[in-house]
Amino acid sequence: MAHFKIDHDFTNNESLPSFSLTINDSYVTAVYSDTDRQAELVEVLRSDAKMTVFDQQEGLYDRLTVEDNIAFFRKWFGCRKPLPEILVLFELHSCAKTPLSKCSHSEIRRVYFAKYYMSGTEPIVFREPIHGVDIKTINTFINMLEKIKDDGIPVLVLVSNMEHALLLGDAAYKLQEHGMQPIEVDEEDANTAEAERSDVPVTTNLFKIPAKVEDKMILFDPPEIDYIESQDGKAMIVINDESYTLDSTLAEIEKKLEVYGFYRCHRSYIVNLQKVREIITWSKNTYSLKIDNKIQSTIPLSRTKIQDIQEKFSLK
Amino acid sequence: MNVQRISAIFEKDIKDFMKNMMLLTMPLIPVVLALIYDRMGTEEFPLTLLYLIVGVTFSAVTSSTMMTMMAEENEKKTLRGLILSPASFVDIIIGKSLVTGLITLVSLVVSLMILGIDPFLNTIPISGLILQFLFFLFLGIGIGLFSKSIASTSVYLMPVMFLFGFTPMVGQLGFSEDGIVMTIFDTFPVMQAIEAHENSSWAPIGIITLWVAAAALFMFICFKRTVTDD
Repeated sequence: MAHFKIDHDFTNNESLPSFSLTINDSYVTAVYSDTDRQAELVEVLRSDAKMTVFDQQEGLYDRLTVEDNIAFFRKWFGCRKPLPEILVLFELHSCAKTPLSKCSHSEIRRVYFAKYYMSGTEPIVFREPIHGVDIKTINTFINMLEKIKDDGIPVLVLVSNMEHALLLGDAAYKLQEHGMQPIEVDEEDANTAEAERSDVPVTTNLFKIPAKVEDKMILFDPPEIDYIESQDGKAMIVINDESYTLDSTLAEIEKKLEVYGFYRCHRSYIVNLQKVREIITWSKNTYSLKIDNKIQSTIPLSRTKIQDIQEKFSLK
Repeated sequence: MNVQRISAIFEKDIKDFMKNMMLLTMPLIPVVLALIYDRMGTEEFPLTLLYLIVGVTFSAVTSSTMMTMMAEENEKKTLRGLILSPASFVDIIIGKSLVTGLITLVSLVVSLMILGIDPFLNTIPISGLILQFLFFLFLGIGIGLFSKSIASTSVYLMPVMFLFGFTPMVGQLGFSEDGIVMTIFDTFPVMQAIEAHENSSWAPIGIITLWVAAAALFMFICFKRTVTDD
């Protein structure tokens, strides 16, 4: 079993904490952190661990067609997979004859994916692979991760978006100032969530949710909330692209809000079901909920909860 | 050296060349120049004029194509992730040299055909041409290695063109035949090639070989610097 270990000592770097991370070939590891810390981490991986980090910053051959680009990389890296298979795998067959300069952002991203896939580098480190691309491209990326996993190559994905970390990683970690911590995987908490749900919904005479902003107290109507996410054990109300910290934990708030049509769709998320616009089904049985707000946020939906939510929406 | 990688680069650059207007117009320069000269006079062309075409071809096609191709890769950072060892870097240079060689050959043969290629079909002129090609190629690779953008290559191309490409024209600038300027310019590769051609002697070929060795050294220094920089 191939795996590699990153040990980072904090003495030689100010903003990056010391951590030790073992990356296994049997699951995809995702690390969530803010962009500054991510840049530090990339620097460490590049200089200390001498790893290639795939960050889509290098250029491709703009004048050449998608097919010519892929054909060149395939030959250069000595990839054995036939060219048509690669094109189909990355959904590039429909734009194969288009010059790269005329391709969409998402199509170009898929060319990058194909290039990285064929490069045969081991281990593979991706940086922000699915930032700002369409659903089709995210799906091809997930498919590619599966293939890489099947080939027994360890993968590390660096993202600055919690949803992406939970979507892509089989094991997700959070890199913060005090170190690297695992983000709880949803399977293991299925039981506890089950237990919580069996409680009788507590009807309270509470109509507003209080949140603190600096020293002010803001009261929110439950229907205006998009969703609530957990960050460092604290619940955060998210409305459009703004978030407000709550004093209570996610479990406490879940009980209070259950009667308003809120649903615990993931270990660290409670969603306002009224605001769900779309249930996205990715390959490999993962799901996301698209929220009907200005920025069209997507939040993860646990595999174990899909049945439940379909019942709630009377889809079954 | 990896043949598969070299052929990958070769195929890619040939395709890219066909779509790059900037590179595509360069090989036309000597051809157009040859056509103009052909219209101007009907009598036998002086050797100097033929070698002017040769000089223009090597500087404007060989050096410039090589420089531009390498500078573009530097500018767009397209080689990042492809070069994993100095060996693969050599593959890239060889692949590109083959493309340059092919284009130079086509351009040179076409323009010399227009003016009459017969004087060149001999051992000494041909070996002179091959050595000159190597000289300008090495010069182009060396400059291409350190130029970071396409725009900067035109700055570097100017001295190459005027010093080495247009040397046969220096004679018409009115410097005295025995003056220091002419003595220096007479040792330049294209002038030596003319001398070798006229006298059918091998000695000037030796001097051109020295020029090639110097250009190779220049290229090697640039290569070492680029490899150690990263």
